[in-house]
Amino acid sequence: MSSPANQSQRWRLKITAYGLGLISLLTLLLPMQAKAVPAFARQTGQNCVACHAGGQFPELTPYGRMFKMTGYTIGERTIPLSVMALASSSSIANAPAGTAKSGTPILATASVFLAGKITDNFGAFTQITFDPYAVDNGDGSFSGHSNADNIDIRFANHIVGDKQDWIYGVSLNNNPSLTDPWNSAAAWMQYVPVPSPTSSQFIDGTAPYPGFASGGNIAGLNAYLYWNKTVYAEVGTYRTADRALSFMTAGVNPRTQLSGSNNPYWRLALSHEWGPHNLMVGTSGMVAHVYDDPTDTSDPASVGRFRNTGIDAQYQYILDPHTVTAQLAYMRTEQTYSDAMSAGQLNPGLSDTNIVTRAKLGYTYQAKYGGSLSLFNLTGSTNNQSDPAISGATYEAFYIPVQNVRIGAQYTRYNKYAGASNASDNNSTFLYVWFAY
Amino acid sequence: MKFSHILWVVVAGVLGAGCSSIENSRNLANPKVSATTLAQQVCSFCHGIDGRSTNPNFPNLAAQQPTYFMAQMKAFRSHNRLDPAGYEYMWGLSRSLTDDQIKGLADYYAAKTPAPIPGATADATAIAGGKSIFEQGVAEKGIPPCSACHGPQAQGNEQFPRLAHQHSDYIIKQLTVFQRTEERPEGGIMKTVAHELTRKNMEDVAAYLQDFPAQ
Repeated sequence: MSSPANQSQRWRLKITAYGLGLISLLTLLLPMQAKAVPAFARQTGQNCVACHAGGQFPELTPYGRMFKMTGYTIGERTIPLSVMALASSSSIANAPAGTAKSGTPILATASVFLAGKITDNFGAFTQITFDPYAVDNGDGSFSGHSNADNIDIRFANHIVGDKQDWIYGVSLNNNPSLTDPWNSAAAWMQYVPVPSPTSSQFIDGTAPYPGFASGGNIAGLNAYLYWNKTVYAEVGTYRTADRALSFMTAGVNPRTQLSGSNNPYWRLALSHEWGPHNLMVGTSGMVAHVYDDPTDTSDPASVGRFRNTGIDAQYQYILDPHTVTAQLAYMRTEQTYSDAMSAGQLNPGLSDTNIVTRAKLGYTYQAKYGGSLSLFNLTGSTNNQSDPAISGATYEAFYIPVQNVRIGAQYTRYNKYAGASNASDNNSTFLYVWFAY
Repeated sequence: MKFSHILWVVVAGVLGAGCSSIENSRNLANPKVSATTLAQQVCSFCHGIDGRSTNPNFPNLAAQQPTYFMAQMKAFRSHNRLDPAGYEYMWGLSRSLTDDQIKGLADYYAAKTPAPIPGATADATAIAGGKSIFEQGVAEKGIPPCSACHGPQAQGNEQFPRLAHQHSDYIIKQLTVFQRTEERPEGGIMKTVAHELTRKNMEDVAAYLQDFPAQ
């Protein structure tokens, strides 16, 4: 009889071998017409570098932003189906006993995309993600679960001539800032992929907008305008994704419950392109009224308010074979507690404010070799919450042997974690193989 | 007003406004979409509405020779132009275009007015060196003057492309493709011409062409 340690080792080897074997087989069998969302690429016939800066996602090129703003409608209609899978191993420097899957190679997540042109003016980007580690059964085993991930269904039009250039559109979507064309927006300033099962939106693990953290669980209708490739303006409002909109939150349980439909989101950005450079400076925000308990919406006094205000900027340099993307984002979130919650608090009536600052600098060479450095810092008041402070840095190196496979390593170093300065126990390493077709 | 009301008003408005307007279509596989529409709705994102691109990764097309332009588009479509910039971006975009649409695009860009590239700077020595290569070639290496085929104003001539006011980065990259690869078989003549060019020669002539003096 083999010991549990041997068995576990054998499993690791098996999973790694199967994973690598599967990826190699798929890579050999499939034609090389596959990109970050390969269905989009089949629609335009272009390589991933056309839309993704340096072939690295999710960062978009100026053309990729236009593709998105014009409603994913460039090209010809094809079968709008793609798949994405991630095999990875993540480990934490000094993982507490029982930390799930630390240091074990796993098939971390898999996604199916339904994405592409529907008519000349309608298009969609929808993602359904399967997480094999969605539910920790508490006995060392996990149950898998699928849920609605990013959903963005658009109508767009482009009025363009020698003297005018207007893009306008409407999006039905399920995440504040998912609609944004720039990657310093909260939904897109992220590492793809991230460690699982303990995945976070950014490495500081904070949810920039309420309802954002679990992904795909509120519903918004946004209208946007891009004038003369210079001014971008967007307004929208969000509500609970229930009734006819419940498909946008399918599999998410419990879903975030917003109070009413008056939860506005706004975005204003200025952009400029010169030579191989492009720059965007913008601001965004949201006011959301959220029930304290998503399973109980009977008491109007249990609605708290989140007010977000952000400033962000992005610079890109794209000239073959070099691609540089720099992003900077600052977001302030003020949480006003509900009357129900406030009543029992230490400092009733006082709100709490968190401030997140993130910076990321990425480089790719020949759309093949790349790396990035990001810094993150979260500070918060402690009126009615414990000190949330987190700060640190993430370093990443990756290799894209063919455009539908990426192999990478990330290391995250913490200077501060949950308010404590002695945070190095949380330092983590993440190795991954990502594949899409 | 309730969210659902706003939603239905917007949806109704959008549907009422007409979902598929062929004048604003970005459909690359519909022969009924005019070349002007394609140029404005798709090509302009990289090559500019007036054929003057911002990013040097993408060539300027303003006043390009229609014969050359059509040959390139057909070479992309038939996968006979194999340089990375070609297949990464242009194979797919050109795959379903008809000959008529390609001709229409050629005429669209031929009618546009080229202009010096804003912010282009090169030192005077480089420009003088480039001028000399352009007008006289490099006799000791057997390199003919560019102007012999591309015209004294670098305006091009049928199958020979216009070069004046082209991005220097694009010219250098294409000269390198001709010199070192077989990726542009349609430009076979350039393989011989570019064979002896040094990197410095390429930079000089590209600097001269990007800044081409107004006549």
